[in-house]
Amino acid sequence: MARRVLLVLGALVMLFPFAWMVITSITPAGSVLATPPDFTPDGANLDAYRRLLDTMPFWRILLNSLWIGVASTILQLVTSAMAAYAFARLPFPGRGALFAVYLATLMVPLQVLIVPLFIEMRTVNLIDTYFAVLAPTVASAFGVFLLRQAIAQVPKEFDEAAVLDGAGHFRIFVFIVVPLIRPALATFAIFAFMASWNSYLWPLVIIKSPEFMTLPLGLAELHGRFTTEWNVVMAGSVVSVLPIIVLYLIAQKQVIASVAQSGLK
Amino acid sequence: MTLTATRQGRRSQGSPVPRPRGRRWRHALTVAVFLLPSAIPLTLFTLVPMAGSLWTSLHEWDLITPMRWVGLDNYLTLLADPETHAAFLHTLYFIAGYLPLVYAGGLGLAMALNRAMRGRDVLRAVYFLPVVTSWVVVALMWKWLLNPAAGIVNWTLGLLGVEGPGWWTDPSWAMPSIILASAWKDLGFVMIILLAGLQAIPKEYHEAARVDGASAWQRFRSITLPLLSPSTFFVIVISLINGFQVFDQVHVMTGGGPAGSTQVVVEQIYNLTFRYGRAGAASALSWLLFAVVLLVTLVQIRAQRRWVNYG
Amino acid sequence: MPKELPAKRFAAAVLATALLATACAQGSATKAPSAESGKVTVRYFTFSAAPDHVKDLDTIVAAFEKENPDVDVVVETAPYDQYFTKLQTSLAGGTAPDTFELNYENFVTYASAGSLLDLGSVAGDEPAAGLAAESLNAFKHDGKQFALPASFSTVVLLYNKDLFDKAGIPAPTADWTWAEEQAAAEKLTDKKAGVYGDFQPVQFFEFYKTLKQAGGEFLTADGTKTAFNSPAGIKATTWLVSKVGKTMPTEAEIGGTADYDTNLFKSGKLAMWHNGIWQFAGLKDVPFNWDIVVEPGDTSKASAVFHNAVAASATTKVGKQAYAWAKFLSSSPVAATTRIQSSWELPPVSDQAVLAGYLKDPKPANRQAVFDSLNAIALPPVIKRQQEMQDAVTQELTSAAAGRKTVEQALADAAAKVDALLG
Repeated sequence: MARRVLLVLGALVMLFPFAWMVITSITPAGSVLATPPDFTPDGANLDAYRRLLDTMPFWRILLNSLWIGVASTILQLVTSAMAAYAFARLPFPGRGALFAVYLATLMVPLQVLIVPLFIEMRTVNLIDTYFAVLAPTVASAFGVFLLRQAIAQVPKEFDEAAVLDGAGHFRIFVFIVVPLIRPALATFAIFAFMASWNSYLWPLVIIKSPEFMTLPLGLAELHGRFTTEWNVVMAGSVVSVLPIIVLYLIAQKQVIASVAQSGLK
Repeated sequence: MTLTATRQGRRSQGSPVPRPRGRRWRHALTVAVFLLPSAIPLTLFTLVPMAGSLWTSLHEWDLITPMRWVGLDNYLTLLADPETHAAFLHTLYFIAGYLPLVYAGGLGLAMALNRAMRGRDVLRAVYFLPVVTSWVVVALMWKWLLNPAAGIVNWTLGLLGVEGPGWWTDPSWAMPSIILASAWKDLGFVMIILLAGLQAIPKEYHEAARVDGASAWQRFRSITLPLLSPSTFFVIVISLINGFQVFDQVHVMTGGGPAGSTQVVVEQIYNLTFRYGRAGAASALSWLLFAVVLLVTLVQIRAQRRWVNYG
Repeated sequence: MPKELPAKRFAAAVLATALLATACAQGSATKAPSAESGKVTVRYFTFSAAPDHVKDLDTIVAAFEKENPDVDVVVETAPYDQYFTKLQTSLAGGTAPDTFELNYENFVTYASAGSLLDLGSVAGDEPAAGLAAESLNAFKHDGKQFALPASFSTVVLLYNKDLFDKAGIPAPTADWTWAEEQAAAEKLTDKKAGVYGDFQPVQFFEFYKTLKQAGGEFLTADGTKTAFNSPAGIKATTWLVSKVGKTMPTEAEIGGTADYDTNLFKSGKLAMWHNGIWQFAGLKDVPFNWDIVVEPGDTSKASAVFHNAVAASATTKVGKQAYAWAKFLSSSPVAATTRIQSSWELPPVSDQAVLAGYLKDPKPANRQAVFDSLNAIALPPVIKRQQEMQDAVTQELTSAAAGRKTVEQALADAAAKVDALLG
């Protein structure tokens, strides 16, 4: 019981910024960000959301972010799961070293890779294309690592039995390993989507045409040089968080369902 | 038993069972098919730019005028610069505070939310909310919470008779403030990874131990922790890699201040590249950071065989 | 054994991936911003249009394209914070926009790096006319016109008239000096009620201005060394720092809160506020009387001016059209009136009849002060390593304000750092 009370109290602390964000987004422009905050703003309205739709081609931007996010997530899941399988189950010379190279790609800050990557895209004439936004996100060393750990946890007896049945690696991968690591895949799907959904610096430099703009770029433009309309910024943040929450809820269902059916329980 | 990648790689090299040539080629082909979908994009879009930045690090470049070759000058200047030392120290300070906090908190949450209870799914989602909320919003809120004069935290401390510190505005409290906010935001991240790990632990183990009369603590020590170790290993390696590259929160919360007390390595890299027009020095600093992170990660990979338990 | 379902899903995922890859490639093939036949495309990159003035910029673009049917202006925007990240990357990659916006502080960096087109070389016999001479001169480098001024904003003293009336203190006038400002600020500050007399941020942009007000100079005449570690510099720094905690909230009280001063003023708890004319729009509906006045000086008056200009890239292939667009944005009547009508900064034109439109707006009553402030302006010192200098000065001033250093020490340290940057 004490645990529950504690968990609920903690949850309220976690919920606080979100509640604050929603409230600020419906607060009239004049009284935004008062200190201390006003949790029952007078004259609450949806003007900020209306301004959001007015100041930018909002639906177009949302659609761009959505399809890039979904495409990137699917690609990341496929490429990472396959590589993870190789690193966990297929012995080959230099495997440890290659894995270290994969990990090493996570270790150089994005800030210094932006310019060389931009120049690379420029030489192949891909600046200002969807391809250029998407391509650098399709492989994720983070995902390979996460899924490799998950596969390593799968008891080997499962695939050994399949090998005796004459199954090749593709069959083992698709029919045995993938179903067993569904909790990890669902977890990674959330991170993969988030990475693409929140990605800012790279789209900022590579996209020029407004019609390719993604949500973080649109939201950043709400910050003026000298002044910022915080209620509109908050409205934008609320909108940008919702799809991830939905995805999270779907993914959680997957995790629970998979545990129920995998026979591991 | 699955072994670590390194050990298995070695073992396969000295494999005593000779394979027929054709089989070996087929095996190589299989490995290639599994790896290439990720290896090709990683090479093109990360390794090639990495090489580009290595090249840049040997030049002086403001991004606007042509590069000028300076050899190792950037590295030597950085290594002798007290600001570089300070930036690395601040980064280490961040990690030292952040990592234990976020891991212990995340593990506690994952354990608490792994058991069946009413409203569990909702609670999990709520604890995950901060992970998905942007740093811009989170920073605004924490600045208000930790406002030294009017914030709710110091107000509460005041009720308890403690005079609250200056948080963001005090050089000795700014980093703890960032650590606190970061751990709070990332708890949900650690939680969901450890939850996935916890769910992979067969229930029978716990039940058997319970029948044997093991206490909750004993079960935690001898079953949960060892079987969770692959997930723990992942969380620690990734948190360290990310921790060394801490940037977003610093950038939006303090911008490296006050008095440079939260100037971390990547904040400096960002300033050097895009604000100060010193892309060469920024690249060199990145490679110094890379060397440190790589070293730390390799040490962990080496050490994992002692405590990480696979399959 | 698990059911077959996952395998089907996996296959579906692979198929979807393949489809997406195709869609993606098509996306890139069809994207090219196809210039209509015979038209020349001029790209323009700006930070000042989004989020509030995108439509106003569209108005100006439409008017320009009507006058120049063979030119198609394509606008790209970025928020100020990231504008230069994007601009530098595109310059590094050799894909600079044909025309782009630059503020005065960053102008020298780009002009001296050779990335700007000498507009004189493409102007032919159509020089830009009707621009204020000082504005035009601000964007000359080595005697060449590398950019045309497009807009400017000034900093004034905003004050809450009701607070002054209630305390029985006469409202500020154009003759005020620091002494009068300080006396009034002390009387108006009522910490118990959370009311502060004054707000002037302690940072670079306030420093070079107050320095000039105190009769000092930031750099020596030849620009090779700093000159601000002087009696005037100490006076200016002391003036800024002494307000903190006395007539102005401390760093701890502000606590890094976003828009703290804006909210303080809007909630009627700030009597005097040093800020820019860009704040006017947000103060339309506040429930108290407020007005503006030229900032008080010390030994002399000096007001800060933020200048933006349009430059063309040195590598543009459409120099003539780029110049025509820059000139239009800078000095055309359409651009000037659009800016005035929408309070999108001020046009740098010399024609007082055009500017008179700005005075029609009833609030604040003393709008004339905006133009009066131009009689004595302080331009920021500009060096090649501009951003580093600004950061260094701000950091030292903040240290002094927080009491971590004495004013003298902070100023000496700032001077040493800036001298090092000057090389």
